[in-house]
Amino acid sequence: MPPESEYSLQDLVDLGGVTPRTIRYYIAQGLLPSPGKAGPGTTYTDGHLNRLRLIKRLQREHLPLAEIRSRVASLDDATVAALVEAPPSEPPAGSAIDYIRGVLGGDSSPDGMLWNATAAASSPSGPIGPPASPPPGNAIDLREPAYRLAEPSPAYAEPPAPTPAPDRSQWDRILLAPDVELHVRRPLGRRAHKRVERLIEIAHELLEEDQP
Amino acid sequence: MTFHVRSDRQLIRPIHRSNRFVLVEVAAPPARSERVRPPVNLAFVLDRSGSMGGEKIRLAKQAIEEAIARLHDDDRFAIVVYDDRVDVVVPGTLAGPDARRSALDRLREIDARGSTNLGEGWLRGAEQVARALADEGVNRCLLLTDGLANVGITDRDELARHAGELRARGVSTSTFGVGEDFDEVLLQAMASAGGGHFRFIATAASIRDHVTSEVGETLEIVARGVTLEIGAAEGIRVESLSPYPTTEVRGRTEITLGDLTSEERVEVVLRLNFPYGELGRTTGVALTLSDRDGVVGGDAKLGWAYADNGANDHQQRDYTVDRAVARVFAARARQEAVGRNRHGDFEGARRIIEATARRIRGYAGRDPELRGIVDELERQLQEFAAPMMEIDRKVMYASSSYQMRSRMADGTAMKDPNRGGR
Repeated sequence: MPPESEYSLQDLVDLGGVTPRTIRYYIAQGLLPSPGKAGPGTTYTDGHLNRLRLIKRLQREHLPLAEIRSRVASLDDATVAALVEAPPSEPPAGSAIDYIRGVLGGDSSPDGMLWNATAAASSPSGPIGPPASPPPGNAIDLREPAYRLAEPSPAYAEPPAPTPAPDRSQWDRILLAPDVELHVRRPLGRRAHKRVERLIEIAHELLEEDQP
Repeated sequence: MTFHVRSDRQLIRPIHRSNRFVLVEVAAPPARSERVRPPVNLAFVLDRSGSMGGEKIRLAKQAIEEAIARLHDDDRFAIVVYDDRVDVVVPGTLAGPDARRSALDRLREIDARGSTNLGEGWLRGAEQVARALADEGVNRCLLLTDGLANVGITDRDELARHAGELRARGVSTSTFGVGEDFDEVLLQAMASAGGGHFRFIATAASIRDHVTSEVGETLEIVARGVTLEIGAAEGIRVESLSPYPTTEVRGRTEITLGDLTSEERVEVVLRLNFPYGELGRTTGVALTLSDRDGVVGGDAKLGWAYADNGANDHQQRDYTVDRAVARVFAARARQEAVGRNRHGDFEGARRIIEATARRIRGYAGRDPELRGIVDELERQLQEFAAPMMEIDRKVMYASSSYQMRSRMADGTAMKDPNRGGR
């Protein structure tokens, strides 16, 4: 096993891509182990650097700090090092782009087609340039995109399908007490409305004690 | 950075479920002038349905132009417009000079027509942001509309749920509602769950100011994903009266305050409900503030003692907390009353305002600010008790929304008074 490297705070800042303040905060929050002795001569180890890199990777997956702490705290240095060495799994399974594609029924714009169409349409002033870092793993999908770009298109000549009248009724959530809620679909008929009103008043009287 | 917590009272009753209120005050540090701002990644989503015609769309386009002009070369932006169809006018791109020039050309070609597929328009904007998430910076979709969602996904809860899911995956949402025909409950819910802000724009003339200030605040964000975590002793129930997204995990309450801009000041009002307890025993809660990058952070503890009724009745109150509690209850009552008024329930609207005024009067004592809140509610009684103009409802709803979320009357971030602002 190679000897452990030693790092100063500045080394850790440069290699980890964080500020000294962040490092101190992580130590205070138990995300990084304490370096032992404090002061200007403080040294840090590979264990610190690997943990810092793992935290940054988990942050890229938009995990809250508390969740990161609970995941990282129980790991030993060797496991942390192995995780940092492992290739990142990007985009994460639950990424924003996957989520949106799920909601929109998987007919999301294929990157390649979208890009080509835009470049062609903006030719007078030159192409905009491709996205800096297209997310890997998005195979170009040659299905018809769900929408068209803003160029003159005969598709617009057709009137849009008639839209169904929106349903304006809605559920109102009324909080009666910290643990008690009432759900009401409005609008209500006059009689039902008066009764619900009465119910809310009685519930408030019963449940709200010692309120200022 | 500021992180202060205080309670309205220190004593609780042994044989009673006492409610006590806690005020949490957070202020973000200023953005340092030498700071290299991390790149932002924005999508502008513009409603181009028929009703946006004329001034509204012209001024909205102008606002987007100005916002794009403020971006640096390493920022990213996208422009999406929608009516019943959705057009990605500018797919997510680096904001280099050519891209900006080309975007302005394409923006000028947009005019208003059709009905409104708000849901898909917004999701397409979020998709452009999600394609190239900025690790260090802010990823946000800005949605500007003057109408209802009436094509595609139209359900409020569903749209708000998607906004929350996207926030958890790194894409936040801010919304702008123009005029009197949009659905403020929807736009507020999307922004709340989406970790951004809702802004009400009463007249087309102020579209520019609102978009510019929201983009400005986004560029000056100093702390991302700020959360307040509360751990309470057994039996204490914790509830946030301030309307921030709240989750409960293994007995700990986590309140998401979202991204804070330079020197932004946020107040959170909590209601604690205590179990019965032995006379003389003490109990309490621990609060932790943190964010994704370790910019803000701190721990605080608050304790209460079980005491007899006489001591409880004569204990000191912290009026600063009472005032914050009263402001939140008054704002909640106004929003509820606006909803009743819209449904034609004028008597219900009046009763809510009256009951809230009565309750606040009960503990206002001689405090001028508390009495002011009561007076204002009483003045508004008659207004709520008769049909209101829709624009007045919108104004009332938005001002209450802002008040509950520590925003100024114009919807901008409240700044730390200890620093004198910019």
